Amino acid sequence: MSRQLSLQEAERRAFTTAYEDGLWDVLLGCFLLLFAVAPPLSRSLGDFWSSAVFLPFWGLVYALIRWLRTNMVAPRIGTVRFGRARRTRLALFSRAMLVINLAALILGLLVATGVGRVPGSVIPILFGLLLLIGFNLAAVLLGISRLHLYGLLVGLSPLVGEWLYTHRSATHHGFPVTFGTSAAVAIIIGVGIFIRVLRSQPISECGTSSEDT
Amino acid sequence: MESPGVGRHPLADVDQVIHAPARLMVLTYLYVVESADYVFLSRMTGLTWGNLATHLAKLEKAGYVAITKGFKGKKPHSTVSLTMQGRAAFCEYRRNMQSVLGDLPE
Repeated sequence: MSRQLSLQEAERRAFTTAYEDGLWDVLLGCFLLLFAVAPPLSRSLGDFWSSAVFLPFWGLVYALIRWLRTNMVAPRIGTVRFGRARRTRLALFSRAMLVINLAALILGLLVATGVGRVPGSVIPILFGLLLLIGFNLAAVLLGISRLHLYGLLVGLSPLVGEWLYTHRSATHHGFPVTFGTSAAVAIIIGVGIFIRVLRSQPISECGTSSEDT
Repeated sequence: MESPGVGRHPLADVDQVIHAPARLMVLTYLYVVESADYVFLSRMTGLTWGNLATHLAKLEKAGYVAITKGFKGKKPHSTVSLTMQGRAAFCEYRRNMQSVLGDLPE
């Protein structure tokens, strides 16, 4: 056997196979679109509605992803329930993401209320750091290496956006450009992986009908 | 009957049901997940549908796996999981193989 087969490697392979369909990348890209599209919309719709209009959009995307996973991915890849070790890891991931989101929320509230005034460039750096930490933690805990790339793109977005805003007169702190690029990268990668899964994993000829023989 | 003073070779205790490469692959994946369906096991092991069904039948007969038959919509859908007996047998197999192969020089 040319490749070392350890139980850990087998578990990691099972996990990535089960979730490596690109659809979660598409969902992530659709979430990132909010940061790219909401600022330009806020002038006409206001701060609240420019974000709220995304809820039905996300709902639609999520429903589409669930449908694709059930009807196109599951017949090709199959379904699996993971053991206690993976569930513990996922619980740890959820807790880590909760802490990161709470930190981002507190930072956002401090900025919005003007409490603890700090120089202009500090806020994008802090937001960028939080995003970078969040994505890299997710990459390590889930064992999905391309999340490092997303972390780099998304983490740099506030800072690069601020630079574009001050030096290149980009509108809305450069968010439409930087977050739009990050969203496009995630969606393109996701669609690419999804198409590869569909092409490389045809539905088994025997299908489920003969499994009970 | 063993001759006095001569210990049984550890390989003699290796479980032959598990020792077949295809069944070992299936059990390795079932050991690290809670349950999986036929499609997933077939994808992970590279076994054909018929081959997988044959090996699973042998493992089920030995009491190492439990096959739960059900339906997903109108289609039959079976999930496979390792039994307690299967888990213990796999651990025992691992120990035996490690004791034999672990001491071999490089």
